[in-house]
This record gives sequence, C-alpha cells and structure tokens, in this order.
Amino acid sequence: MTAVTDQDHTDNDHMNNDHMNNDHADHDQTDSGRIDNDRKNSKDSTDSSSGTGENPEAGEQEQTRAQDRVGAEDGGTAEKSAKVPARLPVRNSAKEPREQEAAVHARVSDADGVTAPRTAAGTGPHAPSRREPGSEPGTEPGADTGADAGAEPGTDSDGAWDDGLIARRVSEASAAEQAAVMETRIGGGGGSTLPSTPLTYDAPLRSRLDALRELVGLSRARLDSRTLAEAGRVLDEAAARRRLSGQHTVVAIAGATGSGKSQLFNALAGVNISETGVRRPTTSAPIACSWSDGASTLIDRLGIPGRLRRRPVQSQDAEAQLRGLVLIDLPDHDSAAVQHREQVDRVLALVDAVIWVVDPEKYADAILHERYLRPMAGHAEIMFIVLNQVDRLPGEAAELVLDDLRRLLDEDGVALGEYGEPGATVLALSALTGDGIGELREVLGQFVTERGAAARRIAADVDAAAWRLRPVYATGRRTGLSEEARDEFADCLADAVGATAAGEAAERAWLRNAGRACGTPWLRLWRWQQDRRDPPTGRLPLRAPADEEATARQRVEQAVRTVSERASAGLPMPWAQAVREAAVRGAGGLPEALDQLAARAGLPPGRPPRPGWWPVAVLAQACMTLLQVVGGLWLLGQIVGVLAPNLGVPVLLMVTGIIGGPLVEWSCRLAARGPARRYGQDAERRLREAAAGCGRARVLDPVAAELLRYREVREQYGRVTGVGAAAR
Amino acid sequence: MVTLDVRPQLLDALSALRDRVAAARFPLPLAGAPRARANRDELLAQLDDYLVPRLKQPDAPMLVVVGGSTGAGKSTLVNSLVGQRVSEAGVLRPTTRTPVLVCHPEDHHWFSGMRVLPRLTRVWAPHQESADDLLLPGEDGRHVLRIETADTLPPGLALLDAPDIDSLVADNRVLAAELICAADIWVMVTTAARYADAVPWHLLRTAKEYDAMLVTVLDRVPHQVVSEVSRQYGALLTKAGLGDVPRFTVPELPESAWGGGLLPATAVAPLRNWLVHHVQDPGSRRHALARTAQGVLDSLKARMPELAGAAASQHAAALRLTSAVDTAYDTEYTRVRGRLQSGAVLAGDALKRWRAFPLDCTAGELLDALTESLGALLLCAVTAADERVDDAWRREPAADAPELTDRDASPESTEHRIGLAVRRWRRELEEYAEDEVRGLERGVAPDPESVAALVATALLGGRRARSAGEGLAERIGAHGALRLRDRAGRLLTEHLDRVLQTERERRLAPLDGLEVHPEPQAELIAALSVLQKER
Repeated sequence: MTAVTDQDHTDNDHMNNDHMNNDHADHDQTDSGRIDNDRKNSKDSTDSSSGTGENPEAGEQEQTRAQDRVGAEDGGTAEKSAKVPARLPVRNSAKEPREQEAAVHARVSDADGVTAPRTAAGTGPHAPSRREPGSEPGTEPGADTGADAGAEPGTDSDGAWDDGLIARRVSEASAAEQAAVMETRIGGGGGSTLPSTPLTYDAPLRSRLDALRELVGLSRARLDSRTLAEAGRVLDEAAARRRLSGQHTVVAIAGATGSGKSQLFNALAGVNISETGVRRPTTSAPIACSWSDGASTLIDRLGIPGRLRRRPVQSQDAEAQLRGLVLIDLPDHDSAAVQHREQVDRVLALVDAVIWVVDPEKYADAILHERYLRPMAGHAEIMFIVLNQVDRLPGEAAELVLDDLRRLLDEDGVALGEYGEPGATVLALSALTGDGIGELREVLGQFVTERGAAARRIAADVDAAAWRLRPVYATGRRTGLSEEARDEFADCLADAVGATAAGEAAERAWLRNAGRACGTPWLRLWRWQQDRRDPPTGRLPLRAPADEEATARQRVEQAVRTVSERASAGLPMPWAQAVREAAVRGAGGLPEALDQLAARAGLPPGRPPRPGWWPVAVLAQACMTLLQVVGGLWLLGQIVGVLAPNLGVPVLLMVTGIIGGPLVEWSCRLAARGPARRYGQDAERRLREAAAGCGRARVLDPVAAELLRYREVREQYGRVTGVGAAAR
Repeated sequence: MVTLDVRPQLLDALSALRDRVAAARFPLPLAGAPRARANRDELLAQLDDYLVPRLKQPDAPMLVVVGGSTGAGKSTLVNSLVGQRVSEAGVLRPTTRTPVLVCHPEDHHWFSGMRVLPRLTRVWAPHQESADDLLLPGEDGRHVLRIETADTLPPGLALLDAPDIDSLVADNRVLAAELICAADIWVMVTTAARYADAVPWHLLRTAKEYDAMLVTVLDRVPHQVVSEVSRQYGALLTKAGLGDVPRFTVPELPESAWGGGLLPATAVAPLRNWLVHHVQDPGSRRHALARTAQGVLDSLKARMPELAGAAASQHAAALRLTSAVDTAYDTEYTRVRGRLQSGAVLAGDALKRWRAFPLDCTAGELLDALTESLGALLLCAVTAADERVDDAWRREPAADAPELTDRDASPESTEHRIGLAVRRWRRELEEYAEDEVRGLERGVAPDPESVAALVATALLGGRRARSAGEGLAERIGAHGALRLRDRAGRLLTEHLDRVLQTERERRLAPLDGLEVHPEPQAELIAALSVLQKER
C-alpha cells in the first residue's frame, strides 16, 4: 500500500478516518472489493511512476506510519479504514488522475460483480464511461491503457486533465478552498465512498474566473453591489460546483406543462418514478435521479430533499451508458402556479445542462423563447432541445415542425450543434412510444462521458455575466487624455494666472525703460512735462503689494471641467464619474496654489534689470548732446564775435549732434527689441510652467491615475471575456 | 336583466371621453408609463372597435372572436363551425397571422366598411393565394383583416379567428388583444395540455374584469381523459370565479388533428347551437350584447382614473425636472452675481492688463481682456448649471427620455452664444462712453476708449479697481462718472440676465417640447364623470 502524499495531509487523514469509520457499516460490502483492486492499482501507479513523483519514498513512509497508527486504534477494521483515507490525500497530488482512474476501474469491476484484476476491467465493455474529459474518442483504448498508471507520465500533465497544474497552483486561496473541499465532501457526502473527485476547470476557464474575481474586487469601490451581484453569483456557483464531483453531470429536464417532461424522465430512467398525468400542472417539485453514487452533494446543492431522490431501474447496459448522469425532473415554467416557475429558475441556475422538452403544440410559445431560450442562448452547448410527442404528428409533419423549431431557435440566437459544430442538440422523439429515446440516450451518454458540461456551463455563465457587465466596463470608444487636451489645460491655467498679459507687460516695460534710458535728454524733458500734466491714474505705484485672488477662479474651474470632461469621454458611466470626482477633488485648492505661485514666479516688483550697454548708450547720447552744445556755443561765439568766424565746423558739429541723438535712440530701440522680447517671454514662460506644473500635480496626475485604474480594470475585463486570454 | 338603452347624450359623452383618451400622452419613461401607454391604446381600441359602434348600431351582427394560445386549434374550430375551410390551419406555429372574419353574405356590408376595427385594412383576396403574401402587416405597417363570407353561418353572426395571444411575434399579441376586445362574445380556446398555462388565465381574468360574455372551449382532449380533464378545468374555473361560464369540450379526433380537415359537425354542435341560439333568440341576444357593453362601460370606472393617475405622475415628473433646472440656474445666477460683486472678472489676464494700464497696455487691450474674462465667467456659470442639472436628472428616471438625452448643445456653441452676448455688451458700453465724452468740452475730452475701459474695470473689478473709479472721475467729472457707471451697470445686469435666461430656456426646450401638462388628468376624470351621469 503506497501512495504519494505530503506531510501536511496526515492530519487531515487522521481527522477523516473517524468519518469514514462511522460510515463503514453501510458500505462494507462495496468497499471490500474495491479496496482490493484499489491496492493493486495504487501499487501499479506508484511503481511505474516513482521516477516522476515528488518524493515517493517520503510519501510511502508517511502513509505507512498513518496506517500503523490507525491500525493500532481500530483493531479489526484497521485494514479497511487505512485504505480508504489513503486515497483521500492523494487528491491534491499530481497523481490524482491515475488514482482516480484506478478507483473507477475498481468500481466498475465491482459493479460487474467481478473482482478481476484491473486489466480485465480496463478492457471491459465500460471503457467509454471512464474516458477523461478532453481525451479524443479515437484514443479510447489508449486512454484506457493510459490508466495503466501513467506508463507515459507526459500524457497526464499534457492532457486537459492537468491536475498537476492545480497542485502546483495551490496557494493561499486555493489551499483553503481545498480544505473546504475535503470537509464538504466528507461531511455532506453521507458516506459516499465513490471516488467523487472534485471538478476541475481547464486553464483558460480558471484564468477567466480568476480575472472575474479580480475584476469584482477592483470594481467594488466604483460600482454598486447590485451591478456586481450577478458576477459574484457566478463566482460563488463556480466555486461551489468545483468543490463537488466532476464525475457527475447534472442534467435538468425543463419544459412547459403537459409537454411530457416526466414522461421523458421516466423513459430515460426506465421506471415510473415521476408521476405523470393529465392533471395540469403535474409535477410540482423537482425530482432527482442519479445513475451512480456520489452525487448526493450535488443534489443537496439543488435543494432536493431525500424523499425525492430516485434510482433508475437496475440494468447494466443503461447504467453503463449513462454513468455519472444525475437527471432532474423540473416542474413546468408556464403554468399559473408561480412557485413552479421560481423553482425552475432556481434549479436552472445550478445544473450543468438542460434538456428542454417542447411539444408540437407549444414549441412556439413566447414564454419559452423570450424568457428562457433567448437569455440562455449563450449556453447552447449545454442545451438539448427535444421535440416530444411526435407520435401525435402525421408523417412528414414531424420534419416540418422540427425545421420550424430549428428556425425559431436560430432566431433566438441559440447555436445549433449541427455538422459537428458546438451548439444545442435538437432531437425529435416520443416518450410515449419510445421513438428516439435511444438516440437521446446515446447523445446524453456521450455528453455525460465527456464530463465537460459543468465547465462549459460555468464558462457560459462567465460569458453571460461579462456581457451583462459590458456597459460598465467597455464602451468601444477610445479613452485616455490626449496630449492636446493636456496642453490645452496648461494653456487655460496660464490664462487664469495671466501669463500672456504678464509677459507682454514685462516686454513693454523693458522697452519703455530702454527708450527712457537711451532717449535724447530733450525728449525726456518733454515726457516729464507731459506726465506732470496727465492725471496720475494707474501709473502711480500705489497698488497693493500683492493681490489676493489674482487667479481667475472661473477660468480654473472651467479648465478643470473641460479636462475632466475630455478625460472621461468614452468611459463607462461609473468610471467617468470617478475621473470627474478625482479632477474636482484635485482642483479644490488649485486657485489658491496658483495665487501663491503667481506671486512667487512673477516678476520681482520694481524696475527691470538694466543691461550693460545702456551706460554706453547713455554716454553716446551725452556725447551727442555735448556736440550740439559745443556746436551751438561755437556758433554763438562767432555771432557774438568772440571767436573767429568759421561756419563749417560748428555747423557740422551741431548737425552731427542733432541727427546723432535720435539716431542713437533709434538704434538703441532696435537693439532693445530682442532682449525685451526675451525678457517678456521669460516672464511668461516662468508663470506658464509654474501653472502647468501645479495643474499637473493637482489635477492631471490624479486623473491619469484614475484612467490607469480603469485601463487595468478594462484589461481584466478583456481577460474575463476571454479575448485577452490564450486562444481556446 | 340588463338592457341596452342608448341615449344620444351618452354617445356624446362617450365620444368626448374617447377624444380625451386619444389626446393623453405619456412621453416620459416613468415606471408606469409603458403600462399606461398600453392601457390607453387598449382602451382606445376597445372604444373605437367595439363600444361606440355597438352602442350606435345595436342591430349589427354579433361578433364572436375566437382567441387562445398558439396551437390550441382556433382555426380548426372556426373552420368546423363554418363548415368549410376559411382559415388556414397547420402544424407550424404560429399559424394564423392574418385575422380572418367570417360572416353571412348578407352581413357583409356591416364589416366591409370601417364601422368596426377601423385600424385594419380589409382584403377580400381568396385565401388560397393570399396566404403567403399576407403573413406580414401591410407595407405601411397596418394590419390587414381578411373577410370571408359563408352562407352556412346564420345571419347576424360573425366569427373572427384571431392570432394567438402568446405569439412569439409581438405584433400578433397586440393585435390579438385588440381583436378580442372588439368582441361581443369572447370564445377562449384552450387544450388539454394547456389549460393550466398562465397566459390564457390572464386573459380569462381580464374577461371577468370586463364582465364580457365569455365562452370557453377545451379543445383537443384525448377521449380517454375527457372526463378527468374537463373536471379539472371546471374546478380551476370555479376557483377563479368563472364557474358559470359556458364550457364546451371538443375531443381530439384523428382526422382533425394537425392541420387536417374539419372536425365533424357533431363535435362542435353544442358550441354552434349555443352561438346560434344567442344570435337568433332576441332575449338572449339582447342580454349578451348588453352584458358585454355594460361590462366595458363599467370597466371605465377603474381604467380612466388609472390613466389619469399616470398622466398626473407624468406631470409631476416633468415638474421635478423643470424645478431641477430652475434651481440649478438660480443657484448659478446668485453665484455669478456674487462673483461680479467681488470683482472676480478682474483677475488673471485682465488683472495683469489693468496693472500695466496705461503705461504698458492700451485701453483696447484692457477692454479685450475684461470682455474675455466676463465671457469665461458666464460660460463657467452655464456649464456648472448644466452639470448640476445633469446630476439632478441622473436620479430621475423620467430624464431618460430620448428627447431629453440627445442634446445637441455642445459647449462650443454655448461659448459662441456667450461670446456674442459679451461682445455686444462691450460695443454698447463703448457707445455709452462716447456719448458721455461728447458732452465734454473739446479741449479736455479724454479718449472714449480709455473711458470705456475704466468704466468696465470699475464695474467688474469690485474693490480692487477703486482707482479705476477715481481715474474715471478725474477724466469726465464725478457726476458724469457716476451716471456712466449706473448706466453701464444696468446694461451689465441686463445682459447677464439675458444670457442665463436664454441658456435656461434652451435647456428646458426639449422638456417643453414633450408637452406634459396638468390638464389631461382633470379632463380624463371630467369626461368620466360626465359619462357616469349620462348612464
């Protein structure tokens, strides 16, 4: 007796032993045969795969120890009780599939009443029922021998049944889940000793579920709980279903009253277990029928009490074909009894697959199509639509009706599984005469054997939830804050602090000072006089040293509003609201900050700086004036007669002075233009940059962070819809 | 014994009531609006199709409408009652898409005109060829009604084969309800498989509510279970308070099932006899007519207040929307006034210009900056008000009306309108300044533009522009300055009011366009009470 196990499972084993022991009385008979086989299989599996096991020796020792301990406690039943838990810890390990496989073999042979070696069971007639999900139909024998305890260890991990991945992925969250799994199964299993391995989802679905969980977590602060309720429900159901048996497929039979649901149920079960009759509505509570053991937890989940659980008639053939099937007969959905509809809605949300029973009279009822088929169109892969009561139709009419039904389904958006495409299966049958029941049984058998229904149902649920959440996550428009919008925001803030005006004023002040400094003295004299005559308004320096509220509040408000509007354009409503709120929050102290900033970054009060060439210009201007004066005096001297008459030189001097003065002034003004502009631009730039920086820090950055959060959520949503995930 | 005596006053009151009902509109998408709209259409149809024509002409043939779920065998039943194939029957659902009316050739003139069912276009094409073309409503979206004549029917009786009441084709459902409401005698067909379905029961309850002359037919009952199903059905009817309704059972017969021929006359004989008796016996006939008509008249007592209530809630919702707009704009108006007082316009660019005036800045530039700043203030106020309105409307379901949600008013066009208004204000201000300056002597007259700039600054700058007022007084004298300021201030207020008022009206225009008034409620109730008095 060996098994691969881990240290930490020992406690679990020990704990579980008690449960198992309590249940032994009921299952002794089945157990003994199975355990014999089990031992063989386990041995096989471990032997042949010891090279790939993590630490087979350690596991072996551990197991032996456990066995010893239990043996000491339980005395006579030691062997049995040790063996049963021996299987349990294995579930977490990489060896699970093989273990699983082996167990199934054991059970099969047990059911046959043949306690033959495993090889005999493997080649038995029940091979299809043991096929693992995802394995090709063609490789059935291969899969069977693959149960030869991993003769090729690669096939195990490569196949869709990649439990090894799960084992490796056991992290904080799933470890807890795993523990819960054990408890649920042991506690609620009612002593079912069937190897009800929990369901596993394939990698894309798992990543989509993870993404959905993440998405719900990320959006909780932004969206109201009602919007997220559906997604939360899907997650809960996915987790709940995952804990339960993956070997069973729960199929509900739904339909209108009088369509023959119970009749079909009985025909499939081969025994009259659901009441049929002409009294409408007939069935008032769901009835379950399980083709194999270990499904009790699944049925518990549907809330079907024990008195409504049935077994099909004991027939080897039928049982083998439909092994793993749990059939639920539902009440009608269209009668005047409203509580029936409620029950149907509740159970339909929990089952793995649905058989819709319609009849020639009711197949076009609005309630069926509008209330059920259209909303569930995404679940086409797990739907069977069965046209019952074809015996009531004359000859070719059945085909016509079937075609019309197909057309209606097509209009509902239900993909039909014709020509090998995935989709709903449409069949015509008569539960009364048994016509077509065989076909349904075959299709159903294949469907159940694939064991993919639960995962496909969850996938379709995720699709539906994602689709319903679409308006709050995706709009199909471009989002984000464009560069122009940012620039425009900066411009608006610059306007609000008056950067342009400040720059122009600084430039003009510089020019004015230059002109004053380099002007001819006569001009300055004239100007001075002019100033004295004019009223002193606005020119006198009696201004307040610092203006309070120098920033235009309304412009800041408008700029923030515009930028948040642009940033939130194309965003779904809740996220747009969040962006707007972030912007408004950031803009709270913005005008005050800009006030301070403008005071700091603005020009220092007083006169602009004087460049080095001004004294030279002043000197030149003085020279020119001197020339005028000298020339004038010289001329005056000649006129008075003090000096020798010589017109040429003094006139020349005077003319030079008179022309040269304005010339110097003019050239100074030309020369001043460049530096003045630079000075003005510098002043403007300083204000502008300060305002833009302030705006960025207070408004644009929070907005960008909010946009980033949205983008993250959007990506997560893409992952949920499966677009971003690996191609399935 | 109810009898039907019709006075002209009653007819007048009824047609007045009909007009009121036709005028009622429920444009706002409130919770009860779709229901109210449906009720209104149904009531209108019943008045037009049934009540008014019936009261006007009590001698017209009785109209018997056969209604029921899809696949209940309505067409087969009608064919069997007539004795020949007049309505298409088949296995594909829904079968009957064009309603068929069958009557005696002598009665043809009653139905060929628009006396009853005026909304349906009549066609007389033989059904064999027309079956395919008339599946859909006519090109103009109108439904068609096929009229057949058969002399096997007694004069004074008309049978109408309606589409299914729970059809996948939504149009058919509406049409079926409309047709059933037009009947003197309602024949509800159900089957052994269907008699517990929810939808037909709704219809039965409606029939009870209107106290219409009702007959139920339990069709297609396999003969093994006839008695049991019939008993069950009877029990259900009794439980629903419809125990006294005549009940006929038609067995499922091999030759009739699934689009075959006609049921043998014996199978439908009881129903046929019942119908013929009610048509030909004057007492029964009068009783049947009076019962259905009085039932509809009685039902008005409940239905009209319901419509009036819906109209009232429409008006209340419209009032809430309007008051949200008014509150938002009033708040913003107060805010703008406050900001103008505190001199918020003289900030940013305008403030910098003012500090540089007049040395480094011309009067024109200062005026430009002030105008622009004022425009920004107004635009800010308007968009803020719009935002408030949007916020308030988001909580109102009524604001989801398509007319209210697709506003074309982009901020750019608002900006444009405000820019126009502000520039106009500036031009008028400059004219005022010129007027004022013209009055002064030529020698000391200052530049009118700088006067305008100073006035604008003094008006818009609040406390911080005190020196502008002083400068103004220096230039044009204290008296003139005061006068100019007053005039300019009034001008400013006027423009401000006008801008905000225009924007508010633009915002309210789509809501006003929906024309939700308080009158319909009162009018509906008034029409009802007039009718009650005339009865």
